[in-house]
Amino acid sequence: MSRSQGPSALKRKRLDSQSGSLTEHESKLYDAIRSKTDMGMSLQDLRRETGLQNNLFTKAIKTLQAKQLIKEVKNFENKTRKHYMATEFEPSKEITGGAWYDNGQFDTEFIKVVKRELVKVIYDQENATLAEISQAIRMKNFLTVNLSDQELKQILDALVLDNEVLKVVSTGMGGYKAGKECYKCCKRREPNLASMASIPCGVCPRINQCTPDGIISPTTCEYFKKWLEF
Amino acid sequence: MLVTITRPGLVRLGLCKLPPFISRVSLTEASNQKKKKKKMTVTNSGIQYAVQIITKHFGNLVAKVCETLLKSGPLNLGALIRSTALTPQQVKNSLLILVQHNCVQPFTQESKAGLKVQYMAVYDNILHRLRFAKFLAVVAQELDDDCKQLLAGLLEHGRLTQQQLMDRANQKSKSNSSQVQNAAQDNFIRLVTARFVERCPAPEPLLEEAPEQEGPKKPRSKSAKMAQVSETIEQRVLAAARPMEAIRFLITTNPETDDPSQKSENNSSSMSVGEKRKFDDLDIGEHGSNDKEVILWRANFEQFIRCLRHKACVENVRARHDDGAAVVLRAVLKATRMQETKVKTDYSVPLKMGAIYNEVIDSAAGRNLTKVSVKASLHLLCGAPPVRGGYEGEGEDEDEDEDEDVPYSIDLKKIIELLQNDEVESIVLKRYGQDACRIFRLLTSQSKPAGQFFETDKISVDALVDKKETPKILYKLWKDDYVHMEKLSLTTAKQSQVMVWKVHKSIVWEHVLDEMYHAAYNLVKRYDHEREENKEVTNTPKEKRVGELEKKANRFLGVRKIMALSLVKLDDALMLFHDF
Ligand code: SF4
Repeated sequence: MSRSQGPSALKRKRLDSQSGSLTEHESKLYDAIRSKTDMGMSLQDLRRETGLQNNLFTKAIKTLQAKQLIKEVKNFENKTRKHYMATEFEPSKEITGGAWYDNGQFDTEFIKVVKRELVKVIYDQENATLAEISQAIRMKNFLTVNLSDQELKQILDALVLDNEVLKVVSTGMGGYKAGKECYKCCKRREPNLASMASIPCGVCPRINQCTPDGIISPTTCEYFKKWLEF
Repeated sequence: MLVTITRPGLVRLGLCKLPPFISRVSLTEASNQKKKKKKMTVTNSGIQYAVQIITKHFGNLVAKVCETLLKSGPLNLGALIRSTALTPQQVKNSLLILVQHNCVQPFTQESKAGLKVQYMAVYDNILHRLRFAKFLAVVAQELDDDCKQLLAGLLEHGRLTQQQLMDRANQKSKSNSSQVQNAAQDNFIRLVTARFVERCPAPEPLLEEAPEQEGPKKPRSKSAKMAQVSETIEQRVLAAARPMEAIRFLITTNPETDDPSQKSENNSSSMSVGEKRKFDDLDIGEHGSNDKEVILWRANFEQFIRCLRHKACVENVRARHDDGAAVVLRAVLKATRMQETKVKTDYSVPLKMGAIYNEVIDSAAGRNLTKVSVKASLHLLCGAPPVRGGYEGEGEDEDEDEDEDVPYSIDLKKIIELLQNDEVESIVLKRYGQDACRIFRLLTSQSKPAGQFFETDKISVDALVDKKETPKILYKLWKDDYVHMEKLSLTTAKQSQVMVWKVHKSIVWEHVLDEMYHAAYNLVKRYDHEREENKEVTNTPKEKRVGELEKKANRFLGVRKIMALSLVKLDDALMLFHDF
């Protein structure tokens, strides 16, 4: 899952010298793409905007790509659609889907790792503010990607929804200013009631069709049979 | 314009302030019908489960009568006989049993033909029948085993006079010494003082005319409104039948002296046989064989449910915070239990620091707690508007020289809500997976009880779920009624529809409760089936169970254990959603 580049790190190459040798069509196309900076443009939009003939258009795209003035990027919203961008830009979040998408693909593994690390950090510090967590993550240097505070917060919020982390507002007692938002690990709870979730009917996809004397019924139920196998 | 509409932020405002160019698309017929069905307080599965309980305890005839009453609401004897197609005697006998066991409450209603007695099933009391073991455990813990024994008799027989209870205690101890008699008398007083036992409600209280907007009185069957109407009738009947607080827990040492209850006819918890005969539909006072005043007693389910509710709150606080907070909460609830006016109270009765501290150090678990730590726990418990997932200590109101006189009141409703959330979330997690659970938690974390609409994309970002997966998960949840969806049509947009989602908690919670009833019914049904299948084994004496039989017997033992345990737990959840 390792990601070598931060999506937000802009590689700025000076390419102006090369653009001098472009044909009129190529220039038109290049300017159109470049004007959209890190958003780039889809093939369809480009075609519409430049109004170039099909064969000219295709040729110009090819040339620009060969000269490394533009590149094809993946748009996470629609991976099959061709999307172009000037080489000097890195695709924006709107195009890549942000840190959580890799090449248009939702990066579950990466998120898992980040989550695990964040929980570790919070666990070690008991209580931590976003700034402290961000600092600790940077110090640990385990990510090849630089996550912004906003992205870290997104993960933290997900951890809250996962019931792994609790967001609390400081009472001013633990050394924090009162009213400051902190994160702390959820107490490892004794297994809650989960009474429905622990019986077959509680998680049964067919409970709506299940009747006492019907084809699907508790007396003939296979889920029950499995559950009661000792 | 278009861009701003489809951006998530706007939809989060909720639908109340929709810009004029957005119109709501009406819901499909099907989901409208679903909605209506859910308005009913007691669902079909609930009735099915209640009838199952009555069948097991009292047989088919009684169950038939009970089922009819549950389904059609209060009926008079004639109508009940017609609907059940049973003989008058069968219906009368069934009613006697049901009244005796507090599962039916008769009441009198004025009609053109004069006073008419109607019979109403008391749904909650039917379900309580499976909780007797829990009630007995409460008494054993709060009082002692002797009191538990005494209560057991009352639970077994439904209603008894004090004398019958004493006689029973005597029989059990097999000696008739006055010592036993006195001890039983004391225990009875303790049960009544702790409000675990109360006088029975009035046998056939007169139901006053309904307050204005109850709607037309006649058509009390079949319409969808029925359940709601009968809910209010149920409340009114129970209120009319309940003895006045002053006498509800009053033990008159000499039952023959005049009794305050006689002064108020409707609230009388006792009955003279002559009076009862006026409505001669039924001969209820089977224990009253002479014309003297007969006071019947019964278990006060309300108090038991209250205790179990308190216990659930305390245990939840223990799990979420620590023992200290649990001890403090228990002390507060114990000290204020008698002042609580209803079971489902939102906040604990306010209590001052001094009183709380005394109660805390009075308990075994709290003996060593300091005032500072008790105060810290109280702040944790009453701190601030709680947030999802736990309590939030609020910064501002940190008052240095806090007065001893500030009363503390703890948000019990919130604690119960958190427990309910846990239960529903565990179902969502198991059925639909972790991503779905995160989405569900996001949608239920809104403060508005009816939920707040989120656009699909916004959900994907906030719950950190793959953009492509989000709609699929939401669709599954929607199909099973866990989330509510609306399509917004954007009249100026080329992409003309946006889907927004929310969880309407009360609707979903009722849906979950309905499935719980269904599950409980299935559990019992399957258990009966297993028992039937294993009859051969259980009928064989232990020493003769060898080989295959032994294996089967061991399996059945396991089956029985896991099923009984599951039912106890499931019933806890039923109480959590229905009674707490
Ligand atoms: S009895 Fe079986 S089929 Fe019916 S609801 Fe339960 S698990 Fe599902």
